[in-house]
Amino acid sequence: MDDLERQLDLECHLKDALTRKQAPDWFEAKVLAAAARETSAPAGFWQRLMAGARLRWASAVLASAAVLASGLAWQHERAVRERTEGEAAKAQLQLALKVTRVKLRKIGQKLDQMERN
Amino acid sequence: MRIACWLLIALLPAVAQELKLPPGLDKLADKATETVDVTMDQSLLQLASKFLSDKDPDEARAKKLVAGLKGVYVRSFQFEHPGEYDQSDLTMLRAQLKPPVWQRIVGVRSKKDGENAEVFLASDGNSVTGLAVICADPKELTIVHIIGQIKPEDLRDLGGNFGIPKFEIGGSHKSDSKEE
Repeated sequence: MDDLERQLDLECHLKDALTRKQAPDWFEAKVLAAAARETSAPAGFWQRLMAGARLRWASAVLASAAVLASGLAWQHERAVRERTEGEAAKAQLQLALKVTRVKLRKIGQKLDQMERN
Repeated sequence: MRIACWLLIALLPAVAQELKLPPGLDKLADKATETVDVTMDQSLLQLASKFLSDKDPDEARAKKLVAGLKGVYVRSFQFEHPGEYDQSDLTMLRAQLKPPVWQRIVGVRSKKDGENAEVFLASDGNSVTGLAVICADPKELTIVHIIGQIKPEDLRDLGGNFGIPKFEIGGSHKSDSKEE
């Protein structure tokens, strides 16, 4: 019997809890007022400051990255140019030394030949 | 005024060892079948030196040689027919290669082949400061001019010792031969 009473009691409670109730008159007005306050209220000083700072930081980081990238590109281009010029200079030098060697050896051989004769 | 005079006298050998290549040489390139034209000042030599390897024996030797050089100039022309260059250009060049700065250490002349080769060294009294080579064959003309400190071992590396036992700056052991 006790079990049956408790079950009926629970059902009554549930029924009571789940019954649709009309919201009080002040509730709608309060929600609308809160929503209006949130959309129209200006951002606080710190909030605005932080937003500005973030933007400035982002700009600074982007600018630094751009400067760094262009600096690296310039350095790479310079290294490539220097390498090309250096290799050309080396080839020129080797050619000049080769011509000098060939001519001096030829003169040496001529002298040897004359000495033998 | 006296200081300026001394300065001029002191600088004279340095300036004198720099040859002026005859302007007519550049025109020879049009007549030549093959041309070598190398003009390297000190900055270009230093740049070339950076790209010479220490591991390769030939490059290492060249690097050692280049360390003391101020300029390397080579003009070489090969012609199809004999007598296409002007002897007056060579006369102008030889006129600059005079003592006391320049000494002709080797002169080879072959009337049979028409070959004419000369080697000149510039010195400051203690060391070799320049080398000039003129090879004037009937169908080939080569002028080499090297400015800067050249050690005897570098000279040997460049082209042997010309078959002469020893270089002696000052002219007492010059080799000056003629082949008839």
